[in-house]
Amino acid sequence: MLRHAGHIFLRLAMTGVGIVTVAFFLMRALPGDPAATMLGDFATVESIATLRAKLGLDEPVWWQYLLFLRHAASGNLGSSVVTGQPALVEVFASLPPSAALALSGMAIAIALGLPLGIVSAVRQGSWTDMIVMVVALAGISFPVFWIGLASILVFAHWIPMFPALGASNATNWLTQLYHLVLPATVLGISVAAYIARLTRSAMLEVLSQDYIRVALAMGVPRRRVIGKLALRNALVPILAVIGVTFAWSFGNAILIEAVFSRPGLGSMLLKAILARDYQLVQAGVLVLASAVVVINTVLDLAYGIIDPRLRAL
Amino acid sequence: MSEQLEIDDAIGTLDADGIRREKRGRRAATIRRFTSHPSLVVGTVVLLALIAVALLAPSIAPYSPTRTSLVNTLAPASWAHPLGTDQFGRDVLSRLIHGTRVSLLVAFWVAAISLSVGTVVGAIAGFTGGWVDRIIVLFNDILMAFPGFLLALAIVAARGSSLDSIILAVSIAYAPRVAAVMRSVALTIRPRPFVEASRAIGLTPTQILLRHVVPNSLPPVIVVATVSAASAILAEAGLSFLGLGVKPPTPTWGNIIADGQTAITTNPLISISAGLCIAAMVVALNLIGDGLRDALDPQMRRQTARLL
Amino acid sequence: MKARSTILDIQGLTTTLPARPGSGVTLVDDVSLTLARGETLAVVGESGSGKTMTFLSALGIAPPPIRVVAGVVLFEGVDLLTLSPAALRERRGAAISMVFQDPLSALNPVFPIGAQIVEVLRAHLPIGRREARERAVALLERVHIPDPHRRVHDYPHQLSGGMRQRALIAMAIALGPRVLIADEPTTALDVTVQAQILELLADLRDESGMALVLITHDLGLVARHADRVAVFYAGRVVEQAAVEPLFAAPRHPYTVALFRTIPHLDTPADAELTPIVGHPPNPAALPPGCPFEPRCFVGRGREECRATRPSLMPAPSAEHRSACLHWPMLDAGKT
Repeated sequence: MLRHAGHIFLRLAMTGVGIVTVAFFLMRALPGDPAATMLGDFATVESIATLRAKLGLDEPVWWQYLLFLRHAASGNLGSSVVTGQPALVEVFASLPPSAALALSGMAIAIALGLPLGIVSAVRQGSWTDMIVMVVALAGISFPVFWIGLASILVFAHWIPMFPALGASNATNWLTQLYHLVLPATVLGISVAAYIARLTRSAMLEVLSQDYIRVALAMGVPRRRVIGKLALRNALVPILAVIGVTFAWSFGNAILIEAVFSRPGLGSMLLKAILARDYQLVQAGVLVLASAVVVINTVLDLAYGIIDPRLRAL
Repeated sequence: MSEQLEIDDAIGTLDADGIRREKRGRRAATIRRFTSHPSLVVGTVVLLALIAVALLAPSIAPYSPTRTSLVNTLAPASWAHPLGTDQFGRDVLSRLIHGTRVSLLVAFWVAAISLSVGTVVGAIAGFTGGWVDRIIVLFNDILMAFPGFLLALAIVAARGSSLDSIILAVSIAYAPRVAAVMRSVALTIRPRPFVEASRAIGLTPTQILLRHVVPNSLPPVIVVATVSAASAILAEAGLSFLGLGVKPPTPTWGNIIADGQTAITTNPLISISAGLCIAAMVVALNLIGDGLRDALDPQMRRQTARLL
Repeated sequence: MKARSTILDIQGLTTTLPARPGSGVTLVDDVSLTLARGETLAVVGESGSGKTMTFLSALGIAPPPIRVVAGVVLFEGVDLLTLSPAALRERRGAAISMVFQDPLSALNPVFPIGAQIVEVLRAHLPIGRREARERAVALLERVHIPDPHRRVHDYPHQLSGGMRQRALIAMAIALGPRVLIADEPTTALDVTVQAQILELLADLRDESGMALVLITHDLGLVARHADRVAVFYAGRVVEQAAVEPLFAAPRHPYTVALFRTIPHLDTPADAELTPIVGHPPNPAALPPGCPFEPRCFVGRGREECRATRPSLMPAPSAEHRSACLHWPMLDAGKT
């Protein structure tokens, strides 16, 4: 168990350095000059040169990289060109509403997708299975922002049950929660479709294993075989699925924030991109990627608890 | 003794016949295996229809997709404009028909790039092993830690929005997934006896690659590529919806939805029809992916399911 | 044969894998077998000949979409195929139980072996967790697993192959079954361990008086441990007899061919072993006549063998039955 954990933390550290590196080189090694991009179409040669010097872009790339690494290690990811605030401060200031959306969306997604995936695997080939799979296919195929728009149309205009705006200025938490219902549900449904599909295939895989047939041959009741034995085996792939969907739900959350005009990391990133405030973009992307890595590390630790074979690794 | 020989001869011819018959039977079975998966057939038909629409767009679209008419803005559906017009008076149906092109183009290039880069990198990792493998896997894991859409967003932010940026961005996000699948296939092929045997009878690495590795790895890799293409379409639509995609007035399904958003209460048809188009293409690709996965050997499910 | 009462009586069992509505591949074709109390029946045949599928079907655990389309399976006079799922479940694992081929894949990797035995015990008996745990330890001891108090907490991957098979046997005999079906229980094990496991099964049979079905393709095992033999080919029983007469005078060409594939102590060292020519038939494309005809050294090319598919018939007694039209020729050839 300790070795498993040590292994995982070593990988966490390496991935951490890795994502900082990728974030750095993505922005710099790509064709195109960030300084020119930032200044837009009317930039003069001099103004670009000035900005390059200011951003340190005239230094050799390896030197820039080392500087960036050192700054990143001390929590300095540059500062916003627009506000002059440290980028990380800006990112964390915009994080709470996004976290609320992503977490409530994931909660809905897991609560919906997991049982549906299990039921359709257990009743493979039945009508229940067919319907769940068709709906899930639709769920992963319609763009999430379109589902958001459609939900506004139906539940805010035709049947005015919920506000079209995904946020309010009210300090009352109940009002805020009320505004969160529609966006969180839309996010939840889109991710639930994905979870249901992958849970189903993980569960089918487990159900076809010999030890499941053995348990049935030994007269262990079907309900218990599925609910206790098979589920425990399927949990590792299912957790892996949930880990992957976290990354997915962050991407979807950005689009949902745009549809529901909800403040958060997504709208901050959009504003930063349109303002060509690329250090802020870089910081935002890094924070989200780190969140994905941390979540997956927690899940990796959980695998070791579920599957004894992994502890020995 | 002579009778024994005769019998052996009889067995020989019998077996040759049998093998021929079996081969023919197997080919027929392969065809049946594909056609008996309705999802594969439906997906392929829909995709081919969309490709036809994209190729014939100028001749089947009733109007130019960019022709504005300021006297006829946000017209409701009519015989002249089956899906109405947008806020610039452009015919929505014509824009949808032309929008097929961008989506297909993105899907095609992303599948092509992520397939070629991903398979090569994955094969190198899987077959070389050792530290080369470890470095590639680490790099892959790092790229996969970035949410795909977010990575695309960042690249578009750095490069400016253009079709090239979008294709590059989505390819960078999805090539690692193809590589991961290819690597796992390579790892399962490497120790199999037929590869050893081929080496023993003196086949060159290239011959081994063409004869054994490619046929064995193609199916799972194609499945991942179809799913990447589907994700690429959704990512392009998302970027266009945010105004970071192909520059207007070029129509894309994503920016048609964005255009329709402002008029969602009065002319919901604009956004709804564009969303249905996106869904149709993504469903088609997913059906092809699902169908292939079921039609090809079931063991493959293990290699692809977790990575998608 | 000693006059012992029949405990398991399978009649005309037929199982298919439906390809599409109306058609299907027959995996088990009109199989009839009987098993007396306390006896050991060996079931032999090539892989894919329907040996395992016969018993999975009889217990109602054939993997879907495979299903039983005809036949009766009388266990202590009750037809298992018409029992309610609940009543069948009560018997399965308790009165009639099974040991599987590959103990590694047959044991659930994420539960300790003790917990898996407890699961089976508590599925059938109204006992508490603590009592079930004690019984599990006793069972591990009974199958000669050393240090059972500690082993009960081990996961399958921590045990050796032989220990895993012992644990699986402990699970199978947990409720004192009257019939134990052992499906190639030693195929996945080392030769030295194989003998120990069979010894264990034979001891358990003698102690408890349960009947044993030994599914195997090892004819040596059959000779040493079985009372009677059923030979399977292409989903059918082609010969059924007591061990001695079957080994002395096999009355189906397939059985004869099977014997030719194994070395005997009395065969000269330089004698060649004869493999059976051709391939096992594809169950989806069986010839209309005798399924063994294309590979048969007696019947190949014969009109009557191509035309009719013979069923089991007395050869010449009800105790020794063969599904070959030409069985007397085999007898003649022997003498």
